[in-house]
Amino acid sequence: MLEIKDLHARIADGGAEILKGITLTVPKGEVHAIMGPNGSGKSTLAYVIAGRADYEVTSGDILWNGASLLGSSPDERAAAGVFLAFQYPMEIPGVSTMTFLRTSVNATRKKRGQKEYSTPEFMKVARAAAAHLDVKDDMLRRALNVGFSGGEKKRMEVLQMALLEPTLCVLDETDSGLDIDAIRIVSEGANKLRGPDKAMLVITHYQRLLNYITPDKVHVLAHGRIQKTGGKELALDLEKTGYAEFSGKAA
Amino acid sequence: MTVAMIKTKAEQGLAADFAAWARDLPGSAAIGKLREEAMAAFERSGLPHRRIEAWKYTDLRAAVKAFAPIATTDDVEVSTAELDAALGRLATIDADRMVFVNGRHRPNLSTAKPQVHLFTLGEVLQTGGSLAGLSDSEAMVALNGALASDGAVIDIHDGTTLAKPILIVMVAAGPMAQLNSLRHVIKLGAGATATVIEAHVVLAGAQASQSNAVLEVAVADAASLTHIMVSLEGSAATRIETVVATLGAGANLKSFQLTVGCGLARNQTFARFAGEKGKLDISGLMLGRGREHIDTTLVIDHAVPGCESRELFKAVLDDAARAVFQGKVIVRPNAQKTDGKQMAKALMLSEACEFDSKPELEIYADDVVCGHGATVAEIDPGMMFYLRSRGIPKDEARAMLIESFAGEALEKIEDAAIRDVLSEIVRNWLVAGHG
Repeated sequence: MLEIKDLHARIADGGAEILKGITLTVPKGEVHAIMGPNGSGKSTLAYVIAGRADYEVTSGDILWNGASLLGSSPDERAAAGVFLAFQYPMEIPGVSTMTFLRTSVNATRKKRGQKEYSTPEFMKVARAAAAHLDVKDDMLRRALNVGFSGGEKKRMEVLQMALLEPTLCVLDETDSGLDIDAIRIVSEGANKLRGPDKAMLVITHYQRLLNYITPDKVHVLAHGRIQKTGGKELALDLEKTGYAEFSGKAA
Repeated sequence: MTVAMIKTKAEQGLAADFAAWARDLPGSAAIGKLREEAMAAFERSGLPHRRIEAWKYTDLRAAVKAFAPIATTDDVEVSTAELDAALGRLATIDADRMVFVNGRHRPNLSTAKPQVHLFTLGEVLQTGGSLAGLSDSEAMVALNGALASDGAVIDIHDGTTLAKPILIVMVAAGPMAQLNSLRHVIKLGAGATATVIEAHVVLAGAQASQSNAVLEVAVADAASLTHIMVSLEGSAATRIETVVATLGAGANLKSFQLTVGCGLARNQTFARFAGEKGKLDISGLMLGRGREHIDTTLVIDHAVPGCESRELFKAVLDDAARAVFQGKVIVRPNAQKTDGKQMAKALMLSEACEFDSKPELEIYADDVVCGHGATVAEIDPGMMFYLRSRGIPKDEARAMLIESFAGEALEKIEDAAIRDVLSEIVRNWLVAGHG
């Protein structure tokens, strides 16, 4: 279960406060969507869960399966099962995608006390997972994300998610910049990772993605706080009314 | 105005010992005369110092406190196993070897039956051969001319393609510090193709070495030379290497220079296009930590029209290490349609390291495309976070990003086997930094 308790976070080194008391619970087996206008703090929340050093938590806590994530480094959080699918995946020139994937998966397996894959073993596992996401061999040989199209980058994120076997998935605007076909492939990949032991937080500006990844609950985030929580129909309402209701300054 | 400078201790020692040393150097009386002239030329200019623009960042006058003696005897035992240990992964490259220990050719360590006959400079000089341009206006080339003890003389005939590379190994060995002055000559006839790798190594337990090497390269019309230089000498070494290259019409020269830490290194290349449609790519990587100082200086002379030059040099610097990149491109008045591009990039891993980049474009023709750029960066925190969010621990993520930075330069090496070897040398250097 993911429990976010009265979380306050600001830009590191005394910058502006962005998250102003977020409280949220995602039980195992559920998918929750976080929707909200631009600048509401959606991506900050995703980064803070994953442990990005550009933000500092000033109060509150994030618990995953009862243990606080806040004292852990990003790689320790990954080993604990946290996965953030980036809105803008980084391009890493000079590092082949296959080498990166193997390093990532083996480092995580080692920390989890699992056996590391040999190179041939890993190639097999990676190729099988890649085939489901329409990721070609050629992409695995290229430098990570360099020259990948928007759709390729997002498919690569979902491939990493599949290979790292996380239990808490945070998808940050995974639909942005994708056409309908790409959204379908990416969503099918994400849906495969749903399970009774897993929790998923899907962050999106538009309702569109939620047609493919059906959420159990929808939260509206604005001005650094959850303003409203409802069922999946809330997303459809927002599609009609927009975020005007939440655009005024929160009391 | 030239200011007469007082001779340094190192220069005085050299002047005093030269006559005695010269007796042990190969060559006829006529060569002896050339050596004296070269020595006189060196003495007139003295060690290059910071008030000479081209040596602004690398002041040899201040840095070289004393010259070690030249090796007059050749009695340091070196086994192939010791040599292979010093070469590390370079030893795995399938190549014809020509090995020089303390400035002298060692046939027992060299390939007995190479694919083409490989002469030594010693042989050439002893058999009455001469070398044009033994003395030169460059002080360190003049000094090399005065003291040149041996070298590889590689002459590839017209139209010949070498099946495998030639590996020239320069070894410092033994308990005594020595000054080594090797002079190599590589000539490719018209349409010939070859790969020559130079390796500078220091045997385990050897004293701090001093090396002042010269490599003359002549690539004839439509010939193609790949030149790889790898320096693995360590923080106690001082090395100056001067490459003087000439390219004929349609000739292709690809040079890659990897310096893996060196107390003081200066890699200087003077390249001149002598025929149209020549192509030159000089790239490399400088890796420094501690108080190491690595200088790459290039002078590319577009003397004729229609030639292309590319330079990409990268430096990875930690601690108080310093790297220098000076790239001068001259485009002569008639050298229309010249295409020259130059880039220098440094990755700074500490607050105390330093990178000095000085591009100089001297363009006298009007229809040319020339550009240069330089960047200095630190490890990108966004990339670090991305890798760490994928479970990769901090040190490993950092090493990956440094490798990624170096990788762009290493990609200039077309031969995959050689590129893999050099990549592993770079990786080992990174790992050593965390040891």
